[in-house]
Amino acid sequence: MIRVFLSGLRIQVLQLLRSSFDVVAMFTWPLVYSSIAYYLLDAKESPRLLLSAALASAVMVMWSQVVVGSSGSFDLMRQNGTLELMVAAPVPLISILAPVMLTSAAFGLYGLVVTLAWGRLAFGIPLGIVHPLAAALSIPACIIAIGSLGLIVASTFVLYRAAFFLGIAMQYPVWIACGLLVPLSILPGWVGPISWVLAPTWGFRAIDRAVLGGDAWLPIGLCLVLSVAYGLVTVVLLRGFEYLARSRVTLRLA
Amino acid sequence: MNWLRVFFAGGVTSYRALFAWVNPWVFVPMLVAYPLFQTLFFAYLGRSAGVGAAFFLIGDSFVAAAITGLFGMGHSIGGERRFQTLPILLASPASRLALFLGRSMPTVVNGFVVAAIAFGLGAWLLGLRFQSGELAKLALALVVSCFACTALGLCIGALGLRGRSVSVFADFIGALMLIVSGANVPFDRLPHVVRTIASGVPLTHGIAAARKVVNGASVGSVGNLLGAELGIAAAYFTVGVLLLRVFERQARTSGSFERF
Repeated sequence: MIRVFLSGLRIQVLQLLRSSFDVVAMFTWPLVYSSIAYYLLDAKESPRLLLSAALASAVMVMWSQVVVGSSGSFDLMRQNGTLELMVAAPVPLISILAPVMLTSAAFGLYGLVVTLAWGRLAFGIPLGIVHPLAAALSIPACIIAIGSLGLIVASTFVLYRAAFFLGIAMQYPVWIACGLLVPLSILPGWVGPISWVLAPTWGFRAIDRAVLGGDAWLPIGLCLVLSVAYGLVTVVLLRGFEYLARSRVTLRLA
Repeated sequence: MNWLRVFFAGGVTSYRALFAWVNPWVFVPMLVAYPLFQTLFFAYLGRSAGVGAAFFLIGDSFVAAAITGLFGMGHSIGGERRFQTLPILLASPASRLALFLGRSMPTVVNGFVVAAIAFGLGAWLLGLRFQSGELAKLALALVVSCFACTALGLCIGALGLRGRSVSVFADFIGALMLIVSGANVPFDRLPHVVRTIASGVPLTHGIAAARKVVNGASVGSVGNLLGAELGIAAAYFTVGVLLLRVFERQARTSGSFERF
Protein backbone atom coordinates (compact mmCIF):
# COMPACT_ATOMS: atom_id res chain seq x y z
CA MET A 1 0.00 0.00 0.00
CA ILE A 2 2.82 2.41 0.85
CA ARG A 3 4.51 1.63 -2.47
CA VAL A 4 1.22 2.31 -4.30
CA PHE A 5 0.79 5.57 -2.41
CA LEU A 6 4.33 6.78 -3.14
CA SER A 7 4.17 5.74 -6.80
CA GLY A 8 0.86 7.57 -7.06
CA LEU A 9 2.43 10.70 -5.61
CA ARG A 10 5.32 10.56 -8.06
CA ILE A 11 3.09 9.99 -11.10
CA GLN A 12 0.64 12.70 -10.08
CA VAL A 13 3.42 15.26 -9.52
CA LEU A 14 4.86 14.45 -12.95
CA GLN A 15 1.44 14.73 -14.58
CA LEU A 16 0.66 18.06 -12.93
CA LEU A 17 4.02 19.56 -13.84
CA ARG A 18 3.58 18.48 -17.46
CA SER A 19 0.01 19.75 -17.68
CA SER A 20 0.15 23.19 -19.23
CA PHE A 21 -3.52 23.63 -18.31
CA ASP A 22 -2.86 23.13 -14.58
CA VAL A 23 0.35 25.16 -14.50
CA VAL A 24 -1.14 28.13 -16.37
CA ALA A 25 -4.39 27.98 -14.38
CA MET A 26 -2.47 27.89 -11.12
CA PHE A 27 -0.63 31.01 -12.17
CA THR A 28 -3.65 32.88 -13.54
CA TRP A 29 -6.61 32.27 -11.25
CA PRO A 30 -5.05 33.35 -7.93
CA LEU A 31 -4.01 36.62 -9.57
CA VAL A 32 -7.49 37.15 -10.98
CA TYR A 33 -9.32 36.47 -7.72
CA SER A 34 -6.97 38.49 -5.55
CA SER A 35 -7.06 41.38 -8.07
CA ILE A 36 -10.87 41.35 -8.16
CA ALA A 37 -10.93 41.39 -4.37
CA TYR A 38 -8.40 44.22 -4.29
CA TYR A 39 -10.23 46.45 -6.78
CA LEU A 40 -13.71 45.56 -5.61
CA LEU A 41 -13.11 45.92 -1.88
CA ASP A 42 -11.19 49.11 -2.67
CA ALA A 43 -9.50 48.83 0.72
CA LYS A 44 -6.15 50.48 0.12
CA GLU A 45 -6.22 51.79 3.66
CA SER A 46 -6.68 48.35 5.11
CA PRO A 47 -3.70 46.14 4.18
CA ARG A 48 -4.89 43.60 6.76
CA LEU A 49 -8.12 43.08 4.82
CA LEU A 50 -6.23 42.80 1.56
CA LEU A 51 -3.78 40.24 2.95
CA SER A 52 -6.72 38.25 4.27
CA ALA A 53 -8.31 38.38 0.81
CA ALA A 54 -5.06 37.20 -0.76
CA LEU A 55 -4.92 34.25 1.64
CA ALA A 56 -8.55 33.43 0.89
CA SER A 57 -7.76 33.48 -2.84
CA ALA A 58 -4.92 31.05 -2.23
CA VAL A 59 -7.16 28.63 -0.31
CA MET A 60 -9.78 28.96 -3.07
CA VAL A 61 -7.19 27.90 -5.61
CA MET A 62 -6.13 25.00 -3.40
CA TRP A 63 -9.70 23.69 -3.43
CA SER A 64 -9.99 24.33 -7.17
CA GLN A 65 -6.85 22.39 -7.83
CA VAL A 66 -8.18 19.49 -5.79
CA VAL A 67 -11.54 19.25 -7.53
CA VAL A 68 -10.59 20.41 -11.01
CA GLY A 69 -7.11 18.87 -11.14
CA SER A 70 -8.19 15.56 -9.68
CA SER A 71 -11.38 15.31 -11.73
CA GLY A 72 -9.23 15.99 -14.80
CA SER A 73 -6.93 13.18 -13.69
CA PHE A 74 -9.93 10.87 -13.40
CA ASP A 75 -11.12 11.78 -16.88
CA LEU A 76 -7.60 11.13 -18.16
CA MET A 77 -7.60 7.70 -16.52
CA ARG A 78 -10.96 6.94 -18.13
CA GLN A 79 -9.81 8.10 -21.54
CA ASN A 80 -6.63 6.06 -21.30
CA GLY A 81 -8.52 3.02 -20.00
CA THR A 82 -6.47 2.84 -16.79
CA LEU A 83 -9.26 3.58 -14.29
CA GLU A 84 -10.61 0.05 -14.67
CA LEU A 85 -7.15 -1.36 -13.95
CA MET A 86 -6.75 0.90 -10.90
CA VAL A 87 -10.06 -0.21 -9.44
CA ALA A 88 -9.28 -3.85 -10.18
CA ALA A 89 -5.84 -3.65 -8.52
CA PRO A 90 -5.57 -5.70 -5.30
CA VAL A 91 -5.07 -2.65 -3.06
CA PRO A 92 -7.67 -0.44 -1.38
CA LEU A 93 -8.93 2.15 -3.84
CA ILE A 94 -8.33 4.92 -1.31
CA SER A 95 -4.57 4.29 -1.55
CA ILE A 96 -4.81 5.09 -5.26
CA LEU A 97 -7.02 8.15 -4.85
CA ALA A 98 -5.25 9.71 -1.85
CA PRO A 99 -2.02 10.62 -3.72
CA VAL A 100 -4.05 12.29 -6.48
CA MET A 101 -5.85 14.47 -3.96
CA LEU A 102 -2.92 15.29 -1.71
CA THR A 103 -0.67 16.17 -4.64
CA SER A 104 -3.36 18.39 -6.11
CA ALA A 105 -3.86 20.16 -2.78
CA ALA A 106 -0.11 20.52 -2.26
CA PHE A 107 0.15 21.98 -5.76
CA GLY A 108 -2.03 24.72 -4.33
CA LEU A 109 1.06 25.87 -2.41
CA TYR A 110 2.26 27.25 -5.70
CA GLY A 111 -0.97 29.27 -5.83
CA LEU A 112 -0.33 30.56 -2.30
CA VAL A 113 3.16 31.75 -3.24
CA VAL A 114 1.91 33.33 -6.49
CA THR A 115 -0.94 35.10 -4.72
CA LEU A 116 1.23 36.53 -1.97
CA ALA A 117 3.96 37.58 -4.42
CA TRP A 118 1.35 39.30 -6.63
CA GLY A 119 -0.21 41.02 -3.64
CA ARG A 120 3.18 42.32 -2.53
CA LEU A 121 4.48 43.36 -5.95
CA ALA A 122 1.30 44.70 -7.55
CA PHE A 123 -0.58 46.12 -4.59
CA GLY A 124 2.12 46.58 -1.96
CA ILE A 125 0.38 44.38 0.59
CA PRO A 126 2.72 43.88 3.60
CA LEU A 127 3.50 40.20 4.23
CA GLY A 128 4.26 40.05 7.94
CA ILE A 129 3.53 36.78 9.80
CA VAL A 130 2.40 37.12 13.40
CA HIS A 131 2.80 33.43 14.40
CA PRO A 132 5.48 31.82 12.18
CA LEU A 133 5.28 28.39 13.84
CA ALA A 134 1.50 28.25 13.57
CA ALA A 135 1.76 29.43 9.96
CA ALA A 136 4.27 26.68 9.16
CA LEU A 137 1.87 24.08 10.59
CA SER A 138 -1.37 25.61 9.35
CA ILE A 139 -0.41 25.27 5.67
CA PRO A 140 0.18 21.49 5.71
CA ALA A 141 -2.88 21.06 7.94
CA CYS A 142 -4.94 22.98 5.38
CA ILE A 143 -3.50 20.93 2.50
CA ILE A 144 -4.25 17.62 4.23
CA ALA A 145 -7.78 18.70 5.17
CA ILE A 146 -8.65 19.99 1.71
CA GLY A 147 -7.10 16.92 0.08
CA SER A 148 -9.14 14.70 2.40
CA LEU A 149 -12.36 16.54 1.54
CA GLY A 150 -11.36 16.01 -2.08
CA LEU A 151 -11.30 12.27 -1.37
CA ILE A 152 -15.01 12.32 -0.57
CA VAL A 153 -15.69 14.17 -3.80
CA ALA A 154 -13.40 11.81 -5.69
CA SER A 155 -15.43 8.83 -4.55
CA THR A 156 -18.27 10.22 -6.67
CA PHE A 157 -15.88 10.70 -9.61
CA VAL A 158 -15.55 6.92 -9.73
CA LEU A 159 -19.24 6.81 -10.53
CA TYR A 160 -19.62 9.81 -12.78
CA ARG A 161 -18.31 9.66 -16.33
CA ALA A 162 -18.01 13.42 -16.77
CA ALA A 163 -15.99 13.98 -13.60
CA PHE A 164 -14.30 17.09 -14.94
CA PHE A 165 -17.59 18.93 -15.38
CA LEU A 166 -18.59 17.96 -11.85
CA GLY A 167 -15.22 19.15 -10.55
CA ILE A 168 -15.60 22.52 -12.27
CA ALA A 169 -19.10 22.92 -10.82
CA MET A 170 -17.96 22.21 -7.26
CA GLN A 171 -15.61 25.19 -6.95
CA TYR A 172 -17.92 28.13 -6.26
CA PRO A 173 -20.43 26.39 -3.95
CA VAL A 174 -17.64 25.39 -1.57
CA TRP A 175 -15.99 28.81 -1.72
CA ILE A 176 -19.30 30.45 -0.83
CA ALA A 177 -20.16 27.98 1.91
CA CYS A 178 -16.70 28.31 3.48
CA GLY A 179 -16.75 32.09 3.55
CA LEU A 180 -13.72 32.46 1.29
CA LEU A 181 -13.60 36.12 0.22
CA VAL A 182 -17.33 36.35 0.93
CA PRO A 183 -17.97 36.92 4.65
CA LEU A 184 -20.27 34.29 6.15
CA SER A 185 -22.08 37.08 7.99
CA ILE A 186 -23.75 38.31 4.79
CA LEU A 187 -24.87 34.83 3.71
CA PRO A 188 -28.14 33.23 4.80
CA GLY A 189 -27.97 31.81 8.34
CA TRP A 190 -28.24 28.18 7.25
CA VAL A 191 -24.89 28.39 5.43
CA GLY A 192 -23.03 28.72 8.77
CA PRO A 193 -23.50 25.12 9.98
CA ILE A 194 -22.53 23.83 6.51
CA SER A 195 -19.28 25.76 6.71
CA TRP A 196 -18.37 24.05 9.99
CA VAL A 197 -18.03 20.64 8.33
CA LEU A 198 -16.07 21.90 5.32
CA ALA A 199 -12.30 21.79 5.59
CA PRO A 200 -11.49 24.96 3.62
CA THR A 201 -13.32 26.98 6.31
CA TRP A 202 -10.90 25.86 9.00
CA GLY A 203 -7.92 25.70 6.66
CA PHE A 204 -8.42 29.36 5.75
CA ARG A 205 -9.03 30.40 9.35
CA ALA A 206 -5.89 28.56 10.46
CA ILE A 207 -3.68 30.29 7.89
CA ASP A 208 -5.45 33.64 8.31
CA ARG A 209 -5.06 33.69 12.09
CA ALA A 210 -1.48 32.40 11.94
CA VAL A 211 -0.52 35.18 9.55
CA LEU A 212 -2.68 38.04 10.83
CA GLY A 213 -2.97 37.14 14.50
CA GLY A 214 -5.46 35.16 16.55
CA ASP A 215 -5.83 31.63 17.82
CA ALA A 216 -4.72 29.41 14.94
CA TRP A 217 -4.41 26.21 16.96
CA LEU A 218 -8.12 25.45 17.19
CA PRO A 219 -8.66 25.60 13.41
CA ILE A 220 -5.46 23.58 12.87
CA GLY A 221 -6.80 20.94 15.23
CA LEU A 222 -10.18 20.96 13.51
CA CYS A 223 -8.44 20.51 10.14
CA LEU A 224 -6.81 17.35 11.45
CA VAL A 225 -10.03 16.05 13.06
CA LEU A 226 -11.96 16.68 9.85
CA SER A 227 -9.24 14.96 7.81
CA VAL A 228 -9.65 11.78 9.85
CA ALA A 229 -13.45 12.00 9.59
CA TYR A 230 -13.30 12.55 5.82
CA GLY A 231 -10.99 9.54 5.49
CA LEU A 232 -13.49 7.31 7.31
CA VAL A 233 -16.43 8.61 5.29
CA THR A 234 -14.47 8.06 2.07
CA VAL A 235 -13.77 4.42 2.92
CA VAL A 236 -17.49 3.78 3.37
CA LEU A 237 -18.54 5.76 0.28
CA LEU A 238 -15.88 4.24 -1.93
CA ARG A 239 -17.03 0.75 -1.05
CA GLY A 240 -20.56 1.57 -2.20
CA PHE A 241 -19.64 3.62 -5.26
CA GLU A 242 -17.01 1.15 -6.39
CA TYR A 243 -19.58 -1.64 -6.20
CA LEU A 244 -22.06 0.44 -8.22
CA ALA A 245 -19.47 1.34 -10.85
CA ARG A 246 -18.41 -2.30 -11.19
CA SER A 247 -21.97 -3.57 -11.44
CA ARG A 248 -22.98 -0.89 -13.97
CA VAL A 249 -19.77 -1.44 -15.95
CA THR A 250 -19.24 2.31 -16.27
CA LEU A 251 -15.55 2.53 -15.41
CA ARG A 252 -14.61 2.22 -19.06
CA LEU A 253 -16.92 5.02 -20.20
CA ALA A 254 -15.05 8.16 -21.14
CA MET B 1 -27.37 22.75 -50.87
CA ASN B 2 -24.25 20.85 -49.85
CA TRP B 3 -23.02 24.02 -48.14
CA LEU B 4 -26.16 24.07 -46.00
CA ARG B 5 -25.84 20.34 -45.23
CA VAL B 6 -22.25 20.85 -44.05
CA PHE B 7 -23.37 23.90 -42.07
CA PHE B 8 -26.23 22.20 -40.19
CA ALA B 9 -25.12 18.55 -39.93
CA GLY B 10 -21.57 19.54 -39.00
CA GLY B 11 -22.75 22.06 -36.43
CA VAL B 12 -25.19 19.74 -34.67
CA THR B 13 -22.78 16.79 -34.62
CA SER B 14 -19.95 18.96 -33.34
CA TYR B 15 -22.15 20.37 -30.57
CA ARG B 16 -23.22 16.93 -29.41
CA ALA B 17 -19.62 15.72 -29.46
CA LEU B 18 -18.61 18.67 -27.31
CA PHE B 19 -20.05 17.06 -24.20
CA ALA B 20 -19.91 13.46 -25.43
CA TRP B 21 -23.67 13.49 -24.83
CA VAL B 22 -25.19 10.31 -23.52
CA ASN B 23 -27.84 12.14 -21.58
CA PRO B 24 -28.47 15.85 -20.99
CA TRP B 25 -27.43 15.70 -17.31
CA VAL B 26 -23.83 16.19 -18.39
CA PHE B 27 -24.93 19.73 -19.29
CA VAL B 28 -26.11 20.62 -15.78
CA PRO B 29 -22.96 20.88 -13.64
CA MET B 30 -20.89 22.77 -16.18
CA LEU B 31 -23.44 25.03 -17.82
CA VAL B 32 -26.08 25.56 -15.13
CA ALA B 33 -24.46 25.10 -11.72
CA TYR B 34 -21.09 26.71 -12.48
CA PRO B 35 -22.34 30.01 -13.93
CA LEU B 36 -25.12 30.26 -11.36
CA PHE B 37 -22.78 29.86 -8.39
CA GLN B 38 -20.25 32.18 -10.00
CA THR B 39 -22.95 34.84 -10.20
CA LEU B 40 -23.96 34.27 -6.58
CA PHE B 41 -20.35 34.32 -5.39
CA PHE B 42 -19.57 37.67 -6.96
CA ALA B 43 -22.96 39.11 -6.02
CA TYR B 44 -22.29 38.32 -2.36
CA LEU B 45 -18.72 39.56 -2.63
CA GLY B 46 -20.07 42.74 -4.19
CA ARG B 47 -22.63 43.10 -1.42
CA SER B 48 -19.81 43.16 1.13
CA ALA B 49 -18.12 45.85 -0.98
CA GLY B 50 -21.27 47.93 -1.36
CA VAL B 51 -21.95 47.17 -5.04
CA GLY B 52 -25.49 46.16 -6.06
CA ALA B 53 -26.31 42.57 -7.01
CA ALA B 54 -27.70 43.55 -10.43
CA PHE B 55 -24.21 44.66 -11.46
CA PHE B 56 -22.88 41.12 -10.99
CA LEU B 57 -26.00 39.37 -12.23
CA ILE B 58 -25.58 41.03 -15.61
CA GLY B 59 -21.78 40.83 -15.68
CA ASP B 60 -21.52 37.18 -14.73
CA SER B 61 -24.41 36.05 -16.94
CA PHE B 62 -22.50 37.57 -19.85
CA VAL B 63 -19.30 35.89 -18.65
CA ALA B 64 -21.19 32.58 -18.70
CA ALA B 65 -21.94 33.18 -22.37
CA ALA B 66 -18.30 34.08 -22.94
CA ILE B 67 -16.99 30.91 -21.31
CA THR B 68 -19.40 28.87 -23.41
CA GLY B 69 -18.23 30.64 -26.55
CA LEU B 70 -14.53 30.38 -25.77
CA PHE B 71 -14.50 26.75 -24.66
CA GLY B 72 -17.30 25.60 -26.96
CA MET B 73 -15.91 27.04 -30.14
CA GLY B 74 -12.34 26.25 -29.13
CA HIS B 75 -13.13 22.61 -28.39
CA SER B 76 -15.32 22.13 -31.44
CA ILE B 77 -12.11 22.55 -33.45
CA GLY B 78 -9.59 21.30 -30.88
CA GLY B 79 -11.78 18.25 -30.24
CA GLU B 80 -11.47 17.21 -33.88
CA ARG B 81 -7.75 16.93 -33.35
CA ARG B 82 -8.17 15.03 -30.10
CA PHE B 83 -10.57 12.50 -31.61
CA GLN B 84 -8.37 12.16 -34.70
CA THR B 85 -11.04 13.42 -37.07
CA LEU B 86 -9.24 16.62 -38.04
CA PRO B 87 -7.28 15.17 -41.00
CA ILE B 88 -10.50 13.67 -42.43
CA LEU B 89 -12.34 16.94 -41.92
CA LEU B 90 -9.69 19.08 -43.55
CA ALA B 91 -9.09 16.62 -46.37
CA SER B 92 -12.74 17.00 -47.39
CA PRO B 93 -13.56 19.48 -50.15
CA ALA B 94 -16.23 21.14 -47.97
CA SER B 95 -16.28 24.91 -47.69
CA ARG B 96 -14.26 25.97 -44.66
CA LEU B 97 -16.67 28.83 -44.04
CA ALA B 98 -19.62 26.40 -43.90
CA LEU B 99 -17.66 24.05 -41.66
CA PHE B 100 -16.72 26.64 -39.07
CA LEU B 101 -19.81 28.82 -39.30
CA GLY B 102 -21.87 25.66 -38.78
CA ARG B 103 -19.86 24.92 -35.66
CA SER B 104 -20.22 28.46 -34.37
CA MET B 105 -24.03 28.69 -34.53
CA PRO B 106 -24.81 26.08 -31.85
CA THR B 107 -22.19 27.76 -29.66
CA VAL B 108 -23.90 31.13 -30.02
CA VAL B 109 -27.30 29.60 -29.18
CA ASN B 110 -25.78 27.60 -26.34
CA GLY B 111 -24.12 30.70 -24.90
CA PHE B 112 -27.39 32.57 -24.99
CA VAL B 113 -29.31 29.74 -23.29
CA VAL B 114 -26.64 29.26 -20.62
CA ALA B 115 -26.54 32.99 -19.87
CA ALA B 116 -30.34 33.20 -19.81
CA ILE B 117 -30.56 30.31 -17.33
CA ALA B 118 -27.86 31.85 -15.11
CA PHE B 119 -29.59 35.22 -15.28
CA GLY B 120 -33.07 33.84 -14.57
CA LEU B 121 -32.05 31.63 -11.66
CA GLY B 122 -29.65 34.26 -10.32
CA ALA B 123 -32.31 36.97 -10.40
CA TRP B 124 -34.74 34.68 -8.60
CA LEU B 125 -32.23 33.73 -5.88
CA LEU B 126 -31.02 37.30 -5.42
CA GLY B 127 -34.55 38.66 -5.37
CA LEU B 128 -34.13 40.96 -8.40
CA ARG B 129 -36.98 41.80 -10.77
CA PHE B 130 -36.89 43.22 -14.30
CA GLN B 131 -39.55 44.52 -16.68
CA SER B 132 -40.24 42.50 -19.83
CA GLY B 133 -39.12 45.46 -21.96
CA GLU B 134 -35.78 45.55 -20.16
CA LEU B 135 -35.37 41.81 -20.63
CA ALA B 136 -35.94 42.09 -24.38
CA LYS B 137 -33.27 44.80 -24.69
CA LEU B 138 -30.97 42.77 -22.45
CA ALA B 139 -31.47 39.76 -24.72
CA LEU B 140 -30.42 41.83 -27.72
CA ALA B 141 -27.18 42.88 -26.03
CA LEU B 142 -26.59 39.27 -25.01
CA VAL B 143 -26.99 37.93 -28.54
CA VAL B 144 -24.44 40.43 -29.84
CA SER B 145 -21.98 39.47 -27.08
CA CYS B 146 -22.52 35.77 -27.79
CA PHE B 147 -21.43 36.38 -31.40
CA ALA B 148 -18.37 38.32 -30.25
CA CYS B 149 -17.29 35.65 -27.76
CA THR B 150 -17.82 32.85 -30.26
CA ALA B 151 -15.69 34.78 -32.76
CA LEU B 152 -12.91 34.97 -30.15
CA GLY B 153 -13.49 31.26 -29.55
CA LEU B 154 -12.86 30.69 -33.26
CA CYS B 155 -9.42 32.29 -32.86
CA ILE B 156 -8.76 29.99 -29.90
CA GLY B 157 -9.97 27.01 -31.90
CA ALA B 158 -7.56 27.97 -34.67
CA LEU B 159 -4.75 27.76 -32.13
CA GLY B 160 -5.88 24.18 -31.66
CA LEU B 161 -4.46 23.47 -35.09
CA ARG B 162 -1.04 24.45 -33.73
CA GLY B 163 -1.07 23.58 -30.03
CA ARG B 164 -2.24 20.46 -28.23
CA SER B 165 -4.67 22.08 -25.81
CA VAL B 166 -7.13 24.86 -26.55
CA SER B 167 -8.27 24.73 -22.92
CA VAL B 168 -5.13 26.53 -21.79
CA PHE B 169 -5.91 29.54 -23.98
CA ALA B 170 -9.67 29.48 -23.28
CA ASP B 171 -9.15 29.20 -19.53
CA PHE B 172 -6.54 31.98 -19.47
CA ILE B 173 -8.66 34.40 -21.52
CA GLY B 174 -11.83 33.45 -19.64
CA ALA B 175 -10.09 34.22 -16.34
CA LEU B 176 -8.87 37.61 -17.53
CA MET B 177 -12.34 38.49 -18.79
CA LEU B 178 -13.67 38.35 -15.24
CA ILE B 179 -11.73 41.56 -14.60
CA VAL B 180 -10.94 43.13 -17.94
CA SER B 181 -14.48 43.14 -19.33
CA GLY B 182 -15.77 45.00 -16.29
CA ALA B 183 -18.01 42.07 -15.40
CA ASN B 184 -17.01 42.06 -11.75
CA VAL B 185 -15.25 45.33 -11.09
CA PRO B 186 -16.64 48.79 -11.91
CA PHE B 187 -14.45 50.39 -14.57
CA ASP B 188 -13.73 53.46 -12.48
CA ARG B 189 -11.85 51.25 -10.00
CA LEU B 190 -9.63 49.63 -12.64
CA PRO B 191 -6.27 51.03 -13.84
CA HIS B 192 -6.27 52.99 -17.09
CA VAL B 193 -4.27 50.33 -18.96
CA VAL B 194 -6.91 47.68 -18.18
CA ARG B 195 -9.65 49.97 -19.48
CA THR B 196 -7.70 50.46 -22.69
CA ILE B 197 -7.34 46.70 -23.19
CA ALA B 198 -11.03 46.27 -22.36
CA SER B 199 -12.08 48.41 -25.31
CA GLY B 200 -10.83 45.73 -27.71
CA VAL B 201 -12.21 42.72 -25.86
CA PRO B 202 -15.57 41.02 -26.46
CA LEU B 203 -18.15 41.48 -23.67
CA THR B 204 -16.98 44.92 -22.51
CA HIS B 205 -19.39 46.90 -24.69
CA GLY B 206 -22.14 44.27 -24.46
CA ILE B 207 -22.09 44.35 -20.66
CA ALA B 208 -22.00 48.15 -20.63
CA ALA B 209 -25.00 48.25 -22.99
CA ALA B 210 -26.89 45.69 -20.89
CA ARG B 211 -26.34 47.67 -17.68
CA LYS B 212 -27.57 50.83 -19.37
CA VAL B 213 -30.76 49.30 -20.79
CA VAL B 214 -31.59 47.81 -17.41
CA ASN B 215 -31.33 51.32 -16.02
CA GLY B 216 -33.90 52.51 -18.54
CA ALA B 217 -31.83 53.46 -21.59
CA SER B 218 -33.33 52.86 -25.02
CA VAL B 219 -31.80 50.56 -27.64
CA GLY B 220 -31.01 53.62 -29.72
CA SER B 221 -28.99 55.22 -26.96
CA VAL B 222 -26.78 52.14 -26.64
CA GLY B 223 -26.50 51.66 -30.40
CA ASN B 224 -22.88 52.78 -30.38
CA LEU B 225 -21.99 50.19 -27.74
CA LEU B 226 -23.78 47.39 -29.57
CA GLY B 227 -22.19 48.54 -32.83
CA ALA B 228 -18.75 48.41 -31.21
CA GLU B 229 -19.44 44.90 -29.90
CA LEU B 230 -20.55 43.79 -33.38
CA GLY B 231 -17.44 45.36 -34.89
CA ILE B 232 -15.28 43.45 -32.41
CA ALA B 233 -17.16 40.25 -33.30
CA ALA B 234 -16.53 40.81 -37.01
CA ALA B 235 -12.85 41.58 -36.41
CA TYR B 236 -12.25 38.46 -34.31
CA PHE B 237 -14.21 36.30 -36.74
CA THR B 238 -12.07 37.55 -39.63
CA VAL B 239 -8.88 36.96 -37.67
CA GLY B 240 -10.13 33.49 -36.68
CA VAL B 241 -10.85 32.48 -40.28
CA LEU B 242 -7.47 33.82 -41.40
CA LEU B 243 -5.68 31.97 -38.59
CA LEU B 244 -7.48 28.77 -39.55
CA ARG B 245 -6.33 29.14 -43.15
CA VAL B 246 -2.72 29.89 -42.20
CA PHE B 247 -2.48 27.16 -39.57
CA GLU B 248 -4.16 24.62 -41.82
CA ARG B 249 -1.61 25.31 -44.55
CA GLN B 250 1.26 25.08 -42.06
CA ALA B 251 -0.09 21.87 -40.55
CA ARG B 252 -0.46 20.30 -44.01
CA THR B 253 3.16 21.17 -44.77
CA SER B 254 4.51 19.85 -41.47
CA GLY B 255 2.09 16.89 -41.28
CA SER B 256 1.14 17.80 -37.74
CA PHE B 257 -2.64 17.21 -37.84
CA GLU B 258 -2.37 13.89 -36.06
CA ARG B 259 0.19 14.99 -33.51
CA PHE B 260 -1.50 14.90 -30.15
